[in-house]
Amino acid sequence: MAISTATKAATDALAANPAPVSVGAQEVHRWMQSFTWDFDKNRTKYSTKYKMANDTKEQFKLIAKEYARMESVKDERQFGSLQDVLTRVDAANRVHPKWNESMKVISNFLEVGEYNAIAATGMLWDSATAPEQKNGYLGQVLDEIRHTNQCAYINYYFAKQGQDAAGHNDARRTRAIGPLWKGMKRVFSDGFISGDAVECSINLQLVGEACFTNPLIVAVTEWASANGDEMTPTVFLSIETDELRHMANGYQTVVSIANDEAASKYLNTDLNNAFWTQQKYFTPVLGMMFEYGSHFKVEPWVKTWNRWVYEDWGGIWIGRLGKYGVESPRSLRDAKKDAYWAHHDLFLIAYALWPTGFFRLSLPTQEEAEWYEANYPGWYDMYGKVYDEWRARGCEDPSSGFLPIQWFIENNHPIYIDRVSQVPFCPSYCKGESTLRVLEFNGKKHSFSDQWGERMWLSEPERYECQNIFEQYEGRELSEVIAEGFGVRSDGKTLISQPHTNKDGKLWTLDDIKRINCVFSDPLKAL
Amino acid sequence: MSKSSNAYNAGIMQKTGKAFADEYFAEDNQVVHESHEVVLVLKKSDELNTVVEEILQGSHKADNPTLVVEDRAGFWWLKATGKIEIDCIEVSELLGKHYSVYDLLVDVSSTIGRAYTLGETFTITSELMGLDVKLKDLAAA
Repeated sequence: MAISTATKAATDALAANPAPVSVGAQEVHRWMQSFTWDFDKNRTKYSTKYKMANDTKEQFKLIAKEYARMESVKDERQFGSLQDVLTRVDAANRVHPKWNESMKVISNFLEVGEYNAIAATGMLWDSATAPEQKNGYLGQVLDEIRHTNQCAYINYYFAKQGQDAAGHNDARRTRAIGPLWKGMKRVFSDGFISGDAVECSINLQLVGEACFTNPLIVAVTEWASANGDEMTPTVFLSIETDELRHMANGYQTVVSIANDEAASKYLNTDLNNAFWTQQKYFTPVLGMMFEYGSHFKVEPWVKTWNRWVYEDWGGIWIGRLGKYGVESPRSLRDAKKDAYWAHHDLFLIAYALWPTGFFRLSLPTQEEAEWYEANYPGWYDMYGKVYDEWRARGCEDPSSGFLPIQWFIENNHPIYIDRVSQVPFCPSYCKGESTLRVLEFNGKKHSFSDQWGERMWLSEPERYECQNIFEQYEGRELSEVIAEGFGVRSDGKTLISQPHTNKDGKLWTLDDIKRINCVFSDPLKAL
Repeated sequence: MSKSSNAYNAGIMQKTGKAFADEYFAEDNQVVHESHEVVLVLKKSDELNTVVEEILQGSHKADNPTLVVEDRAGFWWLKATGKIEIDCIEVSELLGKHYSVYDLLVDVSSTIGRAYTLGETFTITSELMGLDVKLKDLAAA
């Protein structure tokens, strides 16, 4: 009987590549790699300026069957405990209220990063030529889908079982008005999926995953546990079990271009840009979430950063690659200064802009102020005094008619948005590495907080055209903007965000904001 | 607290306040320094608690004297100079059930260094796999 062309091809291939007698997963992996693709006809939708080698290995030698089994066990352990044990012991209500608010930010932002990483690794699959490298990227695509679901699920869990659903349930509705969203999209979207595929890999895998997922997804679990949150360690440590293979993928990306002459021309600049892009957002935001979004402190953020970013990622990852021409990022000195101060600068601004958020913030207590001063000498004179003044003016009470943003206006400390990172900064009142730079392009002014972003913008200004909230809402009254941007709870009038986490405290409404008559003004127009 | 240079709070991390800041901002600390350490983060689980206590800190303790293991709430944090290896055939014998390298990976939460599997062995090493050292296939092992 005649056999089909496909069956004959499979029969011939099996004759040339006999299946192994045993069924050891790694042996099967080795066997499968002998079936390769015709790369002369490989079509790459997203090209790269680097030449990727065709003999790169996949470090974990994963095949689909083992992958599926491994991941299903992870999910059974995770969802099993969340749905049964933790619900039964009412774990979500044992979380400290401040940390409950931090998880609104961390889980929602991470979900966006995971979602974009699906596309990022698909793009890398398209560009790579080595079969094993493609296999690693393919596994990562599946991982990222899993992680997106995990982040959504922990929000669902907190919204259903926890103490304040608003913000856990629908944070992304506020993405137009929340100033932290746009910076998050810069690192988690644009940095991962726009431009050169290998440069995206450096952003996603070599810096985002090999460096910043360790504080974001591993160290965060210590803070969660310390603050009574047993859900986050269950989910986040499970997410991170895949990240180590993603780090290996990033490393293999570097291995694949190691013998490409072009790599020596581009790699250090791309690495420095990726490091600055990722650190510019993660360093202050994670520090703010950990220290200001917790009641019980694990250790100063700068120490966490020093361990995971400087000593381990820098020393072990980058330091070891020195003999292959990979340099310590030139922006490291500025990043170190940011790791010490930028999260304090950001919290000052975030608290001032609290009505535009989707989470509740609270001022440091006396005990916390002492902790900050002990670990960051000089903290009180710069920040603590301001919080004392805000508290005395009744910033938590809707009847006070005081929004902390007024303090910045009264004291002539304008807040700008960095065009490249989209992170807000106040150049006249900060201790991190932020100074005001203004450039004009096509009749429009652009503000920058540092030389590194400015350099990136100068080479590709069209890449950073996203409007910031001051440009977008110039001349508009704040309560109108909040209502338009879905910053209210299900009653249609109470803000999702609040300037305290006291469950017995009064909640601000749109009417409270409207009475203050706060109008958006673009500070660049005054220059 | 462990006095090992691989401990969680070793070196600069023992310092606080101004003393920490002075070293952190010291001129010598403004570029990264090559390190031969590796870090492994293991989720706490029935199997991995056994691996940590019975193998890494038990029968194999003398093989890797630089290894430090610390309890960080939901996970074990391990740091060693050079490499950390876990042989899952040995783990299977200890647990009394089949335990493959992919069962191990269910709970290996993070790595700093070059991690890879070969047969039933998981390795995290400071060696530059694929650059200084060829990444082996099973047949060549």
